[in-house]
Amino acid sequence: MDIALTGLYFVMDPEIDLNIVDLGLVYEIDFKEDSNDIDVIMTLTTRFCPMGESIVEATTKSMKESFPNCKTQVKLTFQPPWDQSMISEAGHEFLSL
Amino acid sequence: MFITGPTSPIKNTSHNVVLPFYAYAALSFLVATILMLSNVSAFTQHYFNPNILAITHTMALGWGTMIILGASHQLFPVMIEGKLHSNVLAYLSFAFAAIGIPLLVFAFYEFDMNTIALMGGMLINLSVMCYLANLAMSIYHSKSKNVHAVFAFTSVIWLFITTLLGLLLVWNFSSNILSINSINFLSLHAHLGIIGWFLLMIIGVGSRLIPMFLISKYENQKRLWLVYFLINAGLLNFIILFFQSLSVAFYSISLGLIGMAILIFGNHIYWSFKQRIRKKVDEQVKISILSVALTLVPILILLIIMIILANVNSLQLVMLYGFTIFFGWITTIILGMTFKTLPFIVWNKVYKSIAGLGKTPNPKDLFNNTIFKVTSGSYLLGFTIFGCGIVLSSILFLNIGAVFLLITAVLYNFNVFKIFFHKAKLNEYKNK
Repeated sequence: MDIALTGLYFVMDPEIDLNIVDLGLVYEIDFKEDSNDIDVIMTLTTRFCPMGESIVEATTKSMKESFPNCKTQVKLTFQPPWDQSMISEAGHEFLSL
Repeated sequence: MFITGPTSPIKNTSHNVVLPFYAYAALSFLVATILMLSNVSAFTQHYFNPNILAITHTMALGWGTMIILGASHQLFPVMIEGKLHSNVLAYLSFAFAAIGIPLLVFAFYEFDMNTIALMGGMLINLSVMCYLANLAMSIYHSKSKNVHAVFAFTSVIWLFITTLLGLLLVWNFSSNILSINSINFLSLHAHLGIIGWFLLMIIGVGSRLIPMFLISKYENQKRLWLVYFLINAGLLNFIILFFQSLSVAFYSISLGLIGMAILIFGNHIYWSFKQRIRKKVDEQVKISILSVALTLVPILILLIIMIILANVNSLQLVMLYGFTIFFGWITTIILGMTFKTLPFIVWNKVYKSIAGLGKTPNPKDLFNNTIFKVTSGSYLLGFTIFGCGIVLSSILFLNIGAVFLLITAVLYNFNVFKIFFHKAKLNEYKNK
């Protein structure tokens, strides 16, 4: 998990200039026990985010970089919808909230 | 329910489709300000003169319409949670407009309303038809229809009606196909474009983008639907009154409906601002919010014109009315939104393949923010001084205002092309 998160700290929401982990966009990272598959369940700040495709691709790329022998699938969900309470303490500090 | 990455319904439109529109619009803005500075005396005359027609169409088509076409090719798929139906139609739309606009502007400037003007008008109509068909097919294939998409699509229908009427008016100059003089249709042609095309499109897209850039969770679809119906009702009322030739006083109904719509939209943006997560608002969004306030300026001028029209020569006020629309409200939102949309498009082009593998610059790092601030200052000075020049019919004020607006256009182009030519800093990734 730590390896995954270290990589994902480099995936930024370019508009907010904060990484997707501190922003609270990553809901779950599911390492399948019976296979080499990893499911990343994540959201976007808005379902209309024009950078959505790029953020999803960057997440996939980062996971592949961290786990080259695993098959990663990034799944987008909007349930529950993202809100401010999902931002980490470090994120709150960074954004001066 | 999950939407997996590669099969996500939202697909970004290729930057190759979008970027030419932005480049064309930036250069058109420069051309319009050069034309202004070379023809300031035209702003002390009747608004129906060749120079004003050429400048107005450079601003309305080359600047306003081209940048909206570019941005909407990118944003429309996002709004309908789908993808653009055809890149070919988008390229055709650009090519037809890119050739048609200078032909029409040149014809107006020379006031030669024959072959060149007709060709220009026809090409512009072809461009709009390609755009309309592309959007219609994109909506047909998408699953999500929402108020923002309805705003945008309706505005393109009004654009088509505007350009079609424009073509008929050009044709009428040489062939008398309409029973009355083309000049009598000018206000109808102008308001179909201003209200139907620009106002609807800007509110439709702005009501999605401004809250998004503020990272605001405020949403009120009912209120936006109300705005939609008020604007369309106001415009339809205007068209009916135009053909009924009723007293000017009846136009106050349209003015009231549209004014109310703008106030409600302003209130919508106010609540988005109040409920924003991002506390620090950048200059680009501030300028965009200013444009919402500037929407009210032409409405106030129109109100003044209607009150005093009966006994005062209001030609300069009519000129000011047009100026505050094209160089005020429309230009302000474009100045702000260009630097909230274009950097993302270019960032996607340059960094998409390496994002997530290391530290990349932010989209806002792709342009010079100091130049942006100077551009905004120069613009506000130019807009105010030139506006005073129109009211006072002062050549000195008009010249000074035009110089500031030209500086604005030069600086704007500098930043736009700085973004265009941005290259990835590959050294940061060589170890990856």
